[in-house]
Amino acid sequence: MTDFDHAAIDEILHSRVRLAIVAFLAGARTADFSAVRAATKTTDGNASIHLRKLEDAGYIAVQKHFVARRPQTLYSLTERGRRALLAYVAHLENLLPKSGGTQP
Amino acid sequence: MIQDQAREDIAFIRRAIEEGGAYASAGSPDMLVWGIAAALGYLGTYGFIRGWSPLPPGPLWAACIGLPWLFSLRRLFRRLIGSGIGGAVRGPMAQALSMLWLGCGVFLTTLSIAAMWTGEARSGWFNPVVAGVLGIAFFASASLSNLPWLRWIAIGWWIGELAVFALRHQPEALPLAAVLMLVLLAGPGLVLLQRRARRAT
Repeated sequence: MTDFDHAAIDEILHSRVRLAIVAFLAGARTADFSAVRAATKTTDGNASIHLRKLEDAGYIAVQKHFVARRPQTLYSLTERGRRALLAYVAHLENLLPKSGGTQP
Repeated sequence: MIQDQAREDIAFIRRAIEEGGAYASAGSPDMLVWGIAAALGYLGTYGFIRGWSPLPPGPLWAACIGLPWLFSLRRLFRRLIGSGIGGAVRGPMAQALSMLWLGCGVFLTTLSIAAMWTGEARSGWFNPVVAGVLGIAFFASASLSNLPWLRWIAIGWWIGELAVFALRHQPEALPLAAVLMLVLLAGPGLVLLQRRARRAT
């Protein structure tokens, strides 16, 4: 038996693609759609679905702009998303022996 | 094993955050170009002083400052001729970084012109100022782009500033400044460029 608590896992971040998006935005602060898609190495449709889920959860904020009449979408991590990522990392660190932790 | 999975996930998160930081620091080709150009300027000046090069420092530095400026202002030129329309929008942090480096570039360029014009460049204070300003730029960039290792580059510049200051009355300050430009400006630019290329593939 381990002390692994399934209930403590953030279901939103438990998806590898969504975790990659949130972590990438934690580093980039703000990024456009193509950068997020490239960072997560996924398709347009898949990236859109995961971005929508993160937006619905309040983890990312979306800003839409028009540049030369073409739409541009910028994504950034919200405070809620940042707290969720920190909590997720803390949860992972709790599964490890006391040395070898990390802080995003 | 759950522990192995947790370790792997933490490493995955760390890599993704680093990639995000590299994305935010979009000016890496400029760092590479400026680092190489400034190093050539310093080495050419040293060669002229030693009698190894016939090219006087004035025209040499005009090229070593003017050409990188043309490269750095390429986005502005593209926008002016209309071919940059529809390019990727840069985020606020990337824009803040651009403004930081643009401000440092304008300051160092105007100061270098003034120092060369008045002959003050020979008195030795100018190169330590350049190193100190680049240290400040890297220190701020580390925070803006979320790349903590850039702080070590800033510290390298400040140590270099002291070393160049110690050699300010000797021509050997010039090759030392060239090495600093290659290692602490072109070097980080190359690393960031490679990370960006890896992210794009």
